Amino acid sequence: MSVGRLLRLGTGLLTLSLLLAGCGSDDTNQPVDVTGGVPVGAVLALTGNANVYGQDQKIGLELALQQRNGSGGINGRPLKLALEDSGSDEPGANAAFTLQINRGVLALIGPTLSQQAFSADPIAQRRGVPVVAPSNTATGIPEIGFFISRVSAESSVIAPLAIERALKIQPGLKRAAVFYAQDDAYSTAETTIFQKALKEKGLEPVTVQRTQLNDQDFQNQISAALREKPDLIVLSLQAVDGGNLIRQLRELGYRGLIVAGNGMNTPNIYPICQKYCDGLLIAQAYSPELDTPANAAFLKAFKAAKGGAIPPQLTAQAYTALQVIGEALARLDKRQPLTGAPLAATRKQLMQELLAGTYATPLGEIRFTPEGEVIQSQFFVAQVRMDPGGRSGRFALLK
Amino acid sequence: MDAALLEQMLLGSLLALSVYLPLRCGQLSLATPGFYAVGGYVAALLSTGVAAFAGSGATSPLPALVAEMVLGGMLAGLIALAIGGPVLRLRGIYLAIATIALVEILRVLNLNLPFTGGAMGIFGIPQPFAHAGGYVLFTLALLALACWLCQRLEAMRLGRAMAAIRDDELAAASVGIDTPRTKLIAFVASAVLAGITGALAAHFFNSWNARAGSFDASITTLAFVVFGGSRFWLGPVLGGLALTALPELLRPVGDLRLILFGAVILLGPLFFPQGLVTAERLRWLAALLRLGRKRGHQAPQAP
Repeated sequence: MSVGRLLRLGTGLLTLSLLLAGCGSDDTNQPVDVTGGVPVGAVLALTGNANVYGQDQKIGLELALQQRNGSGGINGRPLKLALEDSGSDEPGANAAFTLQINRGVLALIGPTLSQQAFSADPIAQRRGVPVVAPSNTATGIPEIGFFISRVSAESSVIAPLAIERALKIQPGLKRAAVFYAQDDAYSTAETTIFQKALKEKGLEPVTVQRTQLNDQDFQNQISAALREKPDLIVLSLQAVDGGNLIRQLRELGYRGLIVAGNGMNTPNIYPICQKYCDGLLIAQAYSPELDTPANAAFLKAFKAAKGGAIPPQLTAQAYTALQVIGEALARLDKRQPLTGAPLAATRKQLMQELLAGTYATPLGEIRFTPEGEVIQSQFFVAQVRMDPGGRSGRFALLK
Repeated sequence: MDAALLEQMLLGSLLALSVYLPLRCGQLSLATPGFYAVGGYVAALLSTGVAAFAGSGATSPLPALVAEMVLGGMLAGLIALAIGGPVLRLRGIYLAIATIALVEILRVLNLNLPFTGGAMGIFGIPQPFAHAGGYVLFTLALLALACWLCQRLEAMRLGRAMAAIRDDELAAASVGIDTPRTKLIAFVASAVLAGITGALAAHFFNSWNARAGSFDASITTLAFVVFGGSRFWLGPVLGGLALTALPELLRPVGDLRLILFGAVILLGPLFFPQGLVTAERLRWLAALLRLGRKRGHQAPQAP
């Protein structure tokens, strides 16, 4: 056999096997598979530069799962959560979403980043699978379609609060400098909101510095900004680049106030900027001090799991996402049992049930708009307080 | 295996072929992701901005997709044609650096142009196929066509000229091969293929942004070729399929999967420095098959 013929044979075989593989999964008429529990999927960034968020979220999901299954699951049947890593990019999120949907999950939690959501959510929308986003804050996420909702309030609602607070702490602020990562969807979306809020308070930014998501050295941008003698610095950066920038900012001698956006809203910034994290102002969609039974239960579970630490917002939001799905599933199952019901129709009914409910969560009482946007009543502002050693700290709520 | 993963693998193969084409005449170009991004933007802008391309039904019309692929390929090819002349005077690692710079320039342009949607990019790109299976069949046809052309190249004057340049550029020039022109053709063909792939990928991924064409993507696509082998078109195709699938297939091992993936990339070139597919290995495989067949014929005669 000649090399050419061998190749033709090989190509033919490859084509055939690919074709066979391509004509597989079609789940439209399957019944819901409840063996081992009611299936729900989560897709989080556990690797890549967004892994610091995924870690917080994973704990939240685990606690919510324990809570749900500890109190009877979905009317006596346990809730089964499949967790997949999406990496920190879009193809990873797409692949993980597709994998979960093919597994026959009734609803999805995730993905971690707004940028991933714009790519992966349309897949779920097309295949009719409810999505509850625990951390997407960019504008336009629930608008992707009927099946897309979120429990993370949009940054346009929360971000301006931190600026108001900064003005309260130091009323004479005049010169604001703004930083954002120009190649990141979250950063560019949030900085527009920050800049608008600054202008409304009469604080026209004296300089706007652009960075890149994967940058580690910000000396150029910082020097350029410090030449303008700013007395307030506003950051829309993610945890890793933001943490490094704060560190360098302080090392280069900046002493004024720093306001950061939701991207730095995690205790996982402590090891990055260490003692320099101190004093950072961040608006919060969650307060550990909220005095409700739902929050008390969440706090107790978190403290038991993490040796007395205080839960961060991302954990509370992830917990809320699974709680919301669990409650909606329980209500739906009571009306018409999930066992043996057609998968596609059940997914649709679950979405309707989810949007119709009111939920007592650690974030307070929440509801959804018909579009899937969260309605939450209370927001807060916290200031980071680092311990003397600079190893650990806490988000102290400002009253 | 899932159709969506299969589609990503096929796209990986096409990109690997795009890196392979310049390598075929000894040019290490890392510009593929830049042209891939350009092709994707063409498709994304046309199908979200022009009503005729978006169509009115549940799926966008197939001829529109083909038109976008042609236009995306053409634009990428034109850019390659314009810059190919000066850039291809560089050799080896200098060419690689120049093409990385090109990818960076295109990326920053894509981030800052008024119509490319900044970091958020363009999303809600209409779908020409209702199911990922449709993409798979379509991409498979495209890949088969690309492979066929690469196979034809082996026997064509152009392909021989490219191989001659790869082996010794000076000797090739001295026997009358127009080396600058041949190299330019390979570079442009690589860009056209990347542009076409990008146009298809933009639809498949729903959204398109500047991260499609990053330095990371340059390295990933190069790894496809290094892993699979750069001497023969089957190498990049296999490399693209395997290295795209591997991180997904390794999901059952959990947290270790990216470490294992890294180990495979590391061990591949260590044990197969020429890549998985080499001419010797193909010949050896053919001989093995022939032997197997002979034995098969002889078997009934044995007492």
